[in-house]
Order: sequence, then C-alpha cells, then structure tokens
Amino acid sequence: GTGGKALAAEMARYPRKLVGKLSSLKTNEVQHFNYPDDGSTAKSVIVKLGTPAGGGIGKGRDVVAFNALCTHMGGDMRKTYKSEHQVLGPCPFHQSTFDLQRHGMIVSGHATESLPQVLLELEGDDIYAVGLIGLIYGRYDNLKG
Amino acid sequence: MSDQSTPFFQPEDKIPLPPKSAEVLTTCCDYCVMACGYKVYRWPVGSADGGPRKHENAVNRNYPLRPNQSGWIGPNQYTQATYDGRLYNLAIIPDPDAKVVNVKGGHSIRGGCIAQKVYNPRKPTQDRLKYPMIRINDILMPVTWDFALDIMAAVSKHVIAKHGEAAWAMKYFSYQYFENTYALTKLAFKDINTPAVAHHDHPAIVNSVPGWVDMGYDIFSASHEDFALADCVLISGTDPYESKTVLWNNWILKGINGNKTKVIMINPRRTMGVAYAETHGGLHLDINPGSDTVVQMAIQRVILENGWEDKEFIDKWVANFWETDSGFGQGTRNTPWQWRTTWGKFQVKGFEDWKAWMLSQEESKPEVAAEIAGIDVAKIYKAAEMMAKPKANGERVKTSIAIEKGNYWSNNYLNTVSIGTMGAILGAGGRPGQVVTRLGGHQRGGVNGGPYPTMKSAYKVPGRRRHRLDLDRWMEAGHVRFAYVIGTTWIQAMAGSSALADTFKKLIKLNPHQVRSFDKQEIIDTLIRRSDSGGTVVVNQDIYLRDPIGAQYADIVLPAATWGEEDFARANSERRIRLYSKFYDAPGDALPDWKIAAKFAKKMGFEGYDWKDSNDVFEETCRFSRGSRKDYQVIRTMAQRKGMKAHDFLRTFGTTGLQAPLMLFGDKIVETKRLHDYNRTDIPDTGPEGVTIVNKRMTAFKTHTGKLNLLKSPWAEWSDFYEFMKPRDGELWIATGRINEIWESGFDDFERRPYTQQRWPMNFLEIHPDDAKARGVESGDIVAVEADRVPIQKDFNLGVKSDDMRFSGLMKRGHIKISTGQFSAVAIVTPSTKKGVVFTDFLKMDSPANSVTPRVPDPFTLNYRFKIANGKVKRVGESVFKHKFSQMTFKRRDIV
Repeated sequence: GTGGKALAAEMARYPRKLVGKLSSLKTNEVQHFNYPDDGSTAKSVIVKLGTPAGGGIGKGRDVVAFNALCTHMGGDMRKTYKSEHQVLGPCPFHQSTFDLQRHGMIVSGHATESLPQVLLELEGDDIYAVGLIGLIYGRYDNLKG
Repeated sequence: MSDQSTPFFQPEDKIPLPPKSAEVLTTCCDYCVMACGYKVYRWPVGSADGGPRKHENAVNRNYPLRPNQSGWIGPNQYTQATYDGRLYNLAIIPDPDAKVVNVKGGHSIRGGCIAQKVYNPRKPTQDRLKYPMIRINDILMPVTWDFALDIMAAVSKHVIAKHGEAAWAMKYFSYQYFENTYALTKLAFKDINTPAVAHHDHPAIVNSVPGWVDMGYDIFSASHEDFALADCVLISGTDPYESKTVLWNNWILKGINGNKTKVIMINPRRTMGVAYAETHGGLHLDINPGSDTVVQMAIQRVILENGWEDKEFIDKWVANFWETDSGFGQGTRNTPWQWRTTWGKFQVKGFEDWKAWMLSQEESKPEVAAEIAGIDVAKIYKAAEMMAKPKANGERVKTSIAIEKGNYWSNNYLNTVSIGTMGAILGAGGRPGQVVTRLGGHQRGGVNGGPYPTMKSAYKVPGRRRHRLDLDRWMEAGHVRFAYVIGTTWIQAMAGSSALADTFKKLIKLNPHQVRSFDKQEIIDTLIRRSDSGGTVVVNQDIYLRDPIGAQYADIVLPAATWGEEDFARANSERRIRLYSKFYDAPGDALPDWKIAAKFAKKMGFEGYDWKDSNDVFEETCRFSRGSRKDYQVIRTMAQRKGMKAHDFLRTFGTTGLQAPLMLFGDKIVETKRLHDYNRTDIPDTGPEGVTIVNKRMTAFKTHTGKLNLLKSPWAEWSDFYEFMKPRDGELWIATGRINEIWESGFDDFERRPYTQQRWPMNFLEIHPDDAKARGVESGDIVAVEADRVPIQKDFNLGVKSDDMRFSGLMKRGHIKISTGQFSAVAIVTPSTKKGVVFTDFLKMDSPANSVTPRVPDPFTLNYRFKIANGKVKRVGESVFKHKFSQMTFKRRDIV
C-alpha cells in the first residue's frame, strides 16, 4: 500500500473527497462513488479485496479504488467484479479484464492503459480519494471532463 | 513484501487535443493483418491546442466522450516528432470515422499504443538505428552509406562470381510494404537470380496452407463481414480475441451477439475467446498439439455417416474423376499439386472414392481420434452436428472455417488438406457466411519483383521434383558466403534455433578473418578472405539493433526507415489496399528498405533502380500484382487518367482503401468482396478488357477445372514423427504462440512500450496446476524449460523411395542430429492450459522458445512444425514479480 497516504506530489491538483467509511466495507462487496467530480465518466468503485493490493489501504492493505470505465472503449464495469480473482471485467463491450490487486493492470484485453487507480488516504475511519493515476476514458484532462 | 507499491507505468492524466487547424493524415496500423484504419493529427509544438467542444478540435468531438463513441486520445496515443525539421504534436488514434475493418474506431492494445512506435528521442524509441555501421575490432562503428554499400557490393560481386548466385542469400520479411518487398525481390530474383532466399517465418519460400492451394481454395478469400453472417464458425489454431483483435471485436462478436453465431475453437488452451464462445453456445476442442488431422477426419466421418454433406455443392463444385484426371489440379505439368500427389499418397478419383477412403481409415473413427487427441469423443459428434446438421426447417447451417498457425505449423500438409476437405463437404467457399480462409498474421505486403529460380535450387526430392531451397539447411551446410538479412531476427525465429546459432557462430565469429582496419579496401579483402575460407559475411538491415543477428554477427548494419516515415501501400486480410502516409521524418540517416536496395543495386551495376520516390516504386509494382488476389493495377491506370501519382490516387480512398482484386469497366472500379464468389453478378458479360483480368478465382475455385479437388490425408505420413515428438519421461508438450499485447508487433513494441513491459516484463509459461504441483512450481516462480532431444534435419539428401523422406527414413539414413534447447520464463499456474501442455511466447530475445522446436520441416511442403515441441520444466526460484504489485499479473486470462 501507500502506507495510508498518497505519495505523488503531482496529485496536489486533485480534490480531496470523502468516498466511504472503512468500517462499512465488507470483503468483496463493491461500493460505487464518483471521483474527481460528478461527471458521467467519474464512475468509480471501491472494494475491500481481502488480500493485499498495490496502493491498498487499511490494516490488510486490501482496500483499493478505481475508475470503472474500461480504458479501451469506455464500457461501464462497475458490476463486473469477480471476487474469486480480484479482477474487474470482462468488460461487456470487448472483454478486457483488469487486476485490482496490481494497480488495475490489464489481465487480458485491448485497453491502452491500466484502469485509473483512485489514490486513497485513511483518516480514522474515513476514506478520502486524493488523486488518480492515469487518464479517465473519454476525458482529455481528468480535472476538466 | 514492501509496504510501498507504485505501478511501473504511470501514464499522463491529461493530453493536448488537436486544434481545428491540425493537419489530418490517414494511415493504418503497422501490425496485424487486420490493418485497422488510423488517423494522424499533426500540429506544431508551440501553437495553440484544441478545446473540448466539437467546434474547437480536429477530432470533431465533444469531450468527455460517451462510452463506445470513439475519438478518445489516450496517453499512449499522443507523442511528438519532427517533420520537415520542425517539432510537431502527434495524436494517432483509430479512425473514429472508419467505415470498414475497425468500423467507428475499434482497436487492439497494439494499435492503440502505436503512437509510441514513433521515433522520439525522449522515449524508449531513442535507440532506433540511425546510421550505417561497420564492425571493426568487434565494435559497430558509424560510417556513411557509400562506405558501407561499397563494401557490401564489392564482397557480393566476389561471392557471386566465385561461389555462384546461390552463395548470396537473402532472408527478409515477406510483408513490410509493396514498395520494399518489390525492390528487395527485384534485386534477389531478377538481378542476382539466387534461389537462396527465404521469408522471415519459413526456411524457404513456401505457401503456408498448401493443402488448400492443392484443393483450389485461395488462402485469403473471405470478407470480414462473413464472420458476422455465419451460423457457425470453426476456428483452428488461434484465438482471434488475442491475435486478430478487431476481427473479434467488430465482426465475430457482432455474429455471436447479433446473429447467434456459434463458434467452435480448436486449441489446447482455453483462451478468453474460447471461454466467451463457450458461454454463448460455442464449443472447445481442447486437442493435444499435432492431433488436428484425426479430429478433422473424425468430424467428417460423422458428417458423411449422417448424410449431412452439402450434396448440391459437391455435385457442382467438387471435381469428379475425369475432371481431376484431365487437369491435374492447377495446371498440366509440374505444379506443386503434382509434386505432392505423384508421391501416390493423396489424390482421389472424385467424391465417392474420397468418401470410401475416409470411411476406411482407422483414425477417422471418432473413438480412435478422440483417444489420439485426448478429448471427450462427444465433442467430435457435437462439432459435426453444429457445423453440418440441417436446421429444423431443412436449411443448411452456414458454416465457415478459419485457421492459423496452431493448425498449419504442426502437421502442415495433412492438417490443411483435412480441414480443407471439411470445407468442401460443408459447401463452404465463396458464399456470404460460408467461407474457408486464413485469419492471417502479418499484413499482406508482398509483391515479387522477379520469379523464384526454382531450377537453381539444389534441393531435390524423390522423382523429378525440385523444392525451393531450405535456407537454414543451406546455411548450416556452409554454402552461404554472403547473407543480406532484412527485418527479421532469422535465428530465433526459426526452429531449433540454438543449433542454428551454433552455425552462425562457427561461420562468422569463429572465422579467423575479422575486420581490424578502417581502410575500405582492407575491409573488403578481409571479408572476401572470410567468404573464400568457407565463412559467411552478414549485412543486417533493420529499425533496431537485434541480438544476435545485428548485435553479434552482422559485419554491416544498415538503418531502415519505416511506418510513418515514408508513403507506403499494403493489403490486409480481406485484400483491402490502403495508403500509409508519411507523417514524420525518419531518425538520423535511416532510409526506407526500397531505397537501400536501390542504392546497393546501382553499386552492383544493375539497371532499373532509378526511382525518385516510393510512388515510383509503387507504380512499377502495379503490373506485378496483375492476376493475383491483390490485383491493384487499376490504381495506376486510374491515376494516370486523372494525371495523379498512384499513391495520391490511393490516398483519396483514406482508411477505406480499395478491396482487391480490382477490375475496371469504363471509369468504374469494381472491387471484390470475397473470392470464389460464383454467384456474383457485377462482372459485365464483356469479360476481361484492357487492364482488367477476370481471374478464375473470383468466380470459381483456383484449379484447372475451377472445381475443388478432394485429397486424402493419411495419418501414417505423420505418425512416426509424432510418436517421436510425444512427451515421455516427465516431459511436457511445449506449445509456443502469441499473446494479445505482442502480436505481429514484437519487432518494435515489446521492449519499447512501458505499458507492455508492465504487463510482461519477462517471458511467461502457462502451466496446468497438476503439472505445476508435481514440479513444485507456483505462479511467479522462474522456471527453466529444457529439451534434450530436439531433432535437426542437418543436410540435403536425395530420397530415392518416397518413405526415405519420412522422419523414420531420415533417422535411419543418418540425416537427423539431436540437439538441445533451453529457455527460462515466469510461471503462470492456470487451468486454462491443458494438463500436459505448457504455453509460452514464441519469440523473446532473452528467452528463445524456438530453441526447443524441432527443425524437421514437413517433407511435402517445407513448412516448419513450430507448434509441437517437448521439454522438461524445472523450478529455478522466485521471480522479483512474485510478491510485488508493480509489474506482471498472474491472474488467469480466461475469466468470463
């Protein structure tokens, strides 16, 4: 994990947004939220994988969040989580699949970048989204829609 | 495990949009055979970028985009490069307005990242070859074109004069644009006239699917649309999800989801495409490597026993005894068909004779075939039913057949014959949704600038038949004194590659005549002494320095310019020809291959190489395409009528291009959607006229009679080799192949895309959990794969009796030596690969999987049998990736 704190200095331009409570997350249960704004492409998921993950927060370093639009053609993958594999996908459009344990890396498929990972910070029980790695599908600037 | 984790590849989170004023150029992806249409947006660095509103950007879109809208410019689709000396921004995206192939901007991971192919000194492409170099004191040193080519020409002249044309060899890509393949083959065939020439993927110049050639099927007859029209598609030896991405995304999925197309896949692995097909009424035939023929025969037996064959089609389009006998296939004398069939093994006297043969074969019994293939026999019956059992209303199922390398690179002749006859009895060929076709690998960019001099080949097989030269064996036998290697690794790409590497080392590195002077004449004299002493001089021409062919063996290295750096033309898998625009300057002193060939040819004293630009070359190639499946002579004719350059005329057709073969009636260009289309009505009764050739294959099959010849596929022709290759004593089948991220693109993208490096930092080995457990292997472990009985056919030999050329005959007569091969990989333990079969990438510089593949080509066709190898897998230890999250994932790749 990132030790509970997002590291990247370049993330300073991102809004800090409360996206959930650690105590409300059940292993393998996906919660939805929007980040960095409420635009149509801000659809994101947060999930407690039950196994340590890159960028994971919490005691088990297993809580991660990603923008849920496939970076291939923008398919909405919020409902495609596969708990036995900790992957999001296959995308309903063309079956791209992403590894949530490994920073949203492509497991199989056609996307040209990993799923944008939402960087998380923990403050007590509050989970804050504080930045993004990668560009959200359909946007030219994460902060300009 | 560290508490910290950072992804290896961190893309930008914003990119500039092209302004309205950006120039827009069309091209296609450089990689797989689909050749998706792409647009290049170019605007000067320092000028204003575009805005997110439709009227503010050149893509003509409002951002953010809607899902599936296309027109997105991802971080990997933007770069910068110089053009005409000025620095530009470049956005390179799948054409959002594409009307064909990747309709509305579909793309693969490879094409989607193709902007990163562009030379950019601040990116991983900075190591492009930029200057001609010569090896002095074993260091490659930059020189001028004249210096390098003077030496190349002087040594070539000597070798040809003293050792003969066949001592001057060329190993080259068969696909890298019409202009380049034409110039290179004009040089090798027309002017030097050497038989020692081979393509990048074969030991000789051969056809990949000879069974179909002999039967009369063209190997690229289909239109992409056919895959969305079929009721059932049998796909053998590939998964288009991974290796023909847009055919899957835009066409096969359209069939599955829109037309309820059922897809049957033959493959030892359960890939993503297989998994998806299975969940949509499809079927997986998870056969053992190399057992295709018996499964294909058994399916046909079931079809025949049920009377499900297409009797009307057979009656009309399958040659009977007299038709076969009168024409002997494709010609009257000395055709490949005749070479092969006069071995007395394959020809039949029409359908009934073939049927009787098929039903008499022990291996065509479903139970026997299932046992050999290691599959559930019920799958054979099910496949036959899906493909051939008439529908409830009595209509025939529209079935298509598509194959690739897993099929034809094992038991080449028998596999391609027996899947071809299956097509014939199903009535497939030339009708919408009913086609027999290759899916393809590289794009189709070959045009021959001269005829292959078969009579100069030293390779003869029993009877009067002469094969084209097997260049690997010719090299191994010490007959190659000068080798011109263009755009291929040669060594690692060929079977039994460690034995081949030994040969290169012996003939080049260990030869005492090495250059130790900068004096041109002394260099020439040294290299001539090497060739006269039995050694070999190597010139390697490529876009990157390849190891070992360039880095270790080449005496001269020549830098090539490539995609985006010159105007080029090429065809794709549905014979669609497009113009690939130049949009930036090649690095350093790099030149396109055609220009290098021309410069060299002039120094050799050959005439006809005074081309001023690539359009001149293209216009010269046009007439050499006449009568072929890519006949594009019409482009030149129409350009002349309009007073245009042929390239510019083709450019006006953008990413749609023109689908060959082309005909011209008046001023009207008539394209060809699919070949063998005996129902087509758009060819005027006036027939061929002027530039127009109405080739037989357009409206019938490609044989003397226009009808398909059925052929036998006797298992005994393969079984001795197969028995030898079967794993024993703890060995596993080693299946090699391709993956989505690196497919017909490894020549430049694998090492130079951080995104791909993140996914695949090392070679991988997929292994079944049972096999892994038995060897103590877990996902993330480094394993060594070792083969200690790799058969190598070591020399040329004259077979007197036909059985002499079989594997057992070659063994008996001492023509096989046993070599070894090794490579390492990171294990991925997954049930998606069949127990007993491991799967790995076929061509990594530091993990040469072809070192374990057998170098004993199919005796009938000279195709290598890359897809059946064996070896032992041992655990070495843990890889750095096993417990880290930043690179390489070990999740199974068939999750649905």
